[in-house]
Amino acid sequence: MKVISYKKRVTSALFAGLIGTTALTGAVIAGENDHGPVKMIKVNAKKAELGKRLFFDVRLSGDAAISCATCHQPDKAFTDGLALSKAYPGSKGFRNTPTLMNTAVRKNWFHDGRIGTNLNDVTREMITETYIMNMDMRLMQERIKQDPVYVKMFKDAGYGEPSNGSVRKAIPEYLKTLTSRNSPFDKGTMSASAKRGYEIFNGKAQCASCHTGANFTNDKAYNRGVPENPEIWSDPMRHMTYVAFGLFMGIENIMNIRRDVGAHILTHKADGSDIGKFVTPTLRELKYTAPYMHNGMFKSLFEVVAFYNQGGGDDKNKDPNMKPLGLSFGEQQDLVSFLEALSGDVLNTKAHAWKDKIPTNYETIENWRSVKN
Amino acid sequence: MKNMKKLSTLAAGVLISVVAITAAHAGSKVPPLAPLGDPPIPADNKMSAAKTKLGKMLFWDPRLGGDASTACVTCHEPDQGWGFADAFSRGYPGTVHWRNSQTVINSAYLMKQFWAGSAASNEKQAPSAAKGAVAGNGENDVMEARLAFIPEYRKLFNEVFGTEWPLISDAWKAIAAFERTLIVKDTPVDKYLAGDKKALSKQQVRGMKLFNGKANCIACHNGALATDQKYYNLGVPTAERWNEDGLAQVTYRYEIYAKGVTQEMYRKLKDDPGFYFRTKEKKDMGKFRTAPLRYLKYTAPYMHNGAFWDLTEVVNFYNAGGGQNDFTDGTMSKNKTPILKPLGLSETEVEDLVAFLEGFSGQELKIKAPKLPDYAPLPNPASN
Repeated sequence: MKVISYKKRVTSALFAGLIGTTALTGAVIAGENDHGPVKMIKVNAKKAELGKRLFFDVRLSGDAAISCATCHQPDKAFTDGLALSKAYPGSKGFRNTPTLMNTAVRKNWFHDGRIGTNLNDVTREMITETYIMNMDMRLMQERIKQDPVYVKMFKDAGYGEPSNGSVRKAIPEYLKTLTSRNSPFDKGTMSASAKRGYEIFNGKAQCASCHTGANFTNDKAYNRGVPENPEIWSDPMRHMTYVAFGLFMGIENIMNIRRDVGAHILTHKADGSDIGKFVTPTLRELKYTAPYMHNGMFKSLFEVVAFYNQGGGDDKNKDPNMKPLGLSFGEQQDLVSFLEALSGDVLNTKAHAWKDKIPTNYETIENWRSVKN
Repeated sequence: MKNMKKLSTLAAGVLISVVAITAAHAGSKVPPLAPLGDPPIPADNKMSAAKTKLGKMLFWDPRLGGDASTACVTCHEPDQGWGFADAFSRGYPGTVHWRNSQTVINSAYLMKQFWAGSAASNEKQAPSAAKGAVAGNGENDVMEARLAFIPEYRKLFNEVFGTEWPLISDAWKAIAAFERTLIVKDTPVDKYLAGDKKALSKQQVRGMKLFNGKANCIACHNGALATDQKYYNLGVPTAERWNEDGLAQVTYRYEIYAKGVTQEMYRKLKDDPGFYFRTKEKKDMGKFRTAPLRYLKYTAPYMHNGAFWDLTEVVNFYNAGGGQNDFTDGTMSKNKTPILKPLGLSETEVEDLVAFLEGFSGQELKIKAPKLPDYAPLPNPASN
C-alpha cells in the first residue's frame, strides 16, 4: 500500500462499478437505436468563460510548462494528433489523448474508465496526477489568487474568492460547452456512401452494439485485441510512466508485464481475464482525432475498420462477440464515409478557445503588508 | 589536553557571568565550544563505500524531482557552500522557495533538519525536499519508477540494499549516507580548541573571547556544533522580497496554507511563523533553530530568510540587540528572546568577532560532479 499524498487523493473511492463486464450483447437492430444529435447543455456563461481561461493557463501545472490545452487542442477536437500523449516534463504518456468533445455526457472517463463520478473529479485527477500536470492544488489556488483577472472572474461567476474547489467546478462548466454540432449525420446531409455505411454500422458490422446513443458509446469496457503499442515498452520514458501509474494503481507484477492492463485496474480479476479491456470511445469528431484506439495504434479510420472486419486482434481475453465481419472493400469504404460524417464544427474560435494572452508571471500585490491575504 | 581544560574552565567562568545577566538561562549550563568529532551513524543506515557512491549520484540526479530538472544539488550547490547563494532558495521551476537554503555540510550532526526542525534526520529531510511543491515537487511512484529504468542504479541498489528493484526509501538512505561524508571539521577553530594555539590569529582569539563573554554568543551557539539546536525568535526582519515579488507572495501564502494555520491567521500573517508549525503554540511564532556556525564563510546570505549578506551585518544585528518582526512587536505575538540585549561592541570588536566566526569555516569542500547513468529499456522478463 503506497502512501498517498495530498496531490493524489486516492481515486479508488470513485471507482464506480460502471465498467460493464458483460460480453457484447446482440446487435441493436438498425433504426431502433438512439443515435442522434448530442443535446446542447445549458451552462452558466461566466463560469464557463472562467473555466475556459483556466483550461488554457499553464500556471495550472506544477512547473508552469503545460496547460490542459497542451494535449487537448481545439484544432484537433481537443486531442493532440499523437499516438501517445506527451505528458508532464520528465515523463511521457502511455495512452492516446481522448477527445473532450461531448465529455460531459459520458458516464465514465479515461480509456480504462477509472473515474465514474463526474468531471470535477476528472479535473482534479488531471491537474494533480504526477505525470500529467503534477500540480499541488494548494499552490495552484495561491497562484490563481495572485492574478487580478481571475479574482474578478471568480467573483463575477459567483464563486467568491478563487479556490481549488471552484477551479474543479469552472473547468467542467467549460467542458459542457464542447458539444458536437453540425455534422452531416446530424444535419441529414450525408453522402450516399455514408448512408450505406450507416446501414452497415447498424447491421452487418454490428458497430451499434457498443457505439450507442447520441455520443456513439455505451461507456463500457471491452477487450478487442488491439495490439500493444511497442513504443511503450521500448521507450523507457513511456514505460516508466506506465510503471509509476501501475505502482499507484496496485497492478500486480508491474515490473514484469509488458501490456497495458486497461480496466483491470478497477476489477482486479485474479485470473487476469479482465486485462486489456478499454472503454468504447465516442465516434464523434473522428476526422480530427487520429490516430485511433487507446494507444494510437491505427493511423486511419480505414485501418480501424479493417481491424474490426478481421474480427479484432489476437488476445486470449478478446470479447467472444468480436468475429470477422466479412465486409467487402466497398462496404468498408462506406463505413469510413459514415464515420467521417459524424464530424462537425471544429470549436477553435474565441467562443470555445481562449485567445487572449494569459500572463505566465505574477503581479505583485501592492502594500502587501497592509492587505489581507 | 591541558590547554583544553584551561579553556573550558575559562569558558565556564565566562558562562557563569553570562548566566548571571541573562534571566532566560539562569541556572542552565551550556557546553563550551569543542572540536567536532565524527558524525553519528544511525544503526539502521550503516555507511559503506558503495552506498555513499550511490548516494552521491542520487544527490546530483534531477530525476529525483517532479519534472526531472531539480536534484538535491540544484539548491545545495557545492560552489555556493552546499546551499544556494540567494536570500530564498531557488525553488521548483515556476516557483521560488520561501526560506534560505541551508548548507548540507555537517548536517549529519544535527538532531533535526530544516530551519524549524520539521525533519528528524537526513533520511527524512531528503524526501521532504524532493516532494515539496516549491522544492522538488516529485512523487514517490514516478521517482521510484524512474530509478528502475537506469541499469546502473538497479545494479548499485541491488549491491547496497539487496532488492531486485530500487526502492525510493532506499534512495533517501543512500543520499543521507552520502551527506554524512560531507563533513568539515578540520577548521582553525577546531585546531585551536584541540590545542594548536597558532591555528587562530590574535584577532580571532580576541573574537573568541567576545564570543564566550561580552557578546554572549555562547548562550545559544555552544558545543561542538556551535548550536544548542533550540528555537528562538531574534527579531530577524521580515523578508523584503515579499513586498516586491508576486511569485514570492504566491509561495508565502501557499506555505502558510499548506503547513496549516487558522483561517484568521491565514488572512493576517505576513511573516514566517517558523517553529510555530511544529507546536501550533503562539509562544513559538517566529522561532527558528540556532544556526550551526560551521562553514559560515561559504554560506552567505545568512538567517532563515537570508536577511543578511555578510557576517558583519549579522554581528551588527546582534550588537544592536537583535531586531523586530511581526512576532516580536505584538502584531502577531511578542516572542523575542530575552537573551538578546544590545552588546555595546566597538567596531573593532565587531571585526574581531567576524574574524573568529570565519575561523569555523576551514577549507572549502569541493567535489567533482558524478557522471549520471542513462535510462535504458527494461530487458524482457523471463516469462510474461
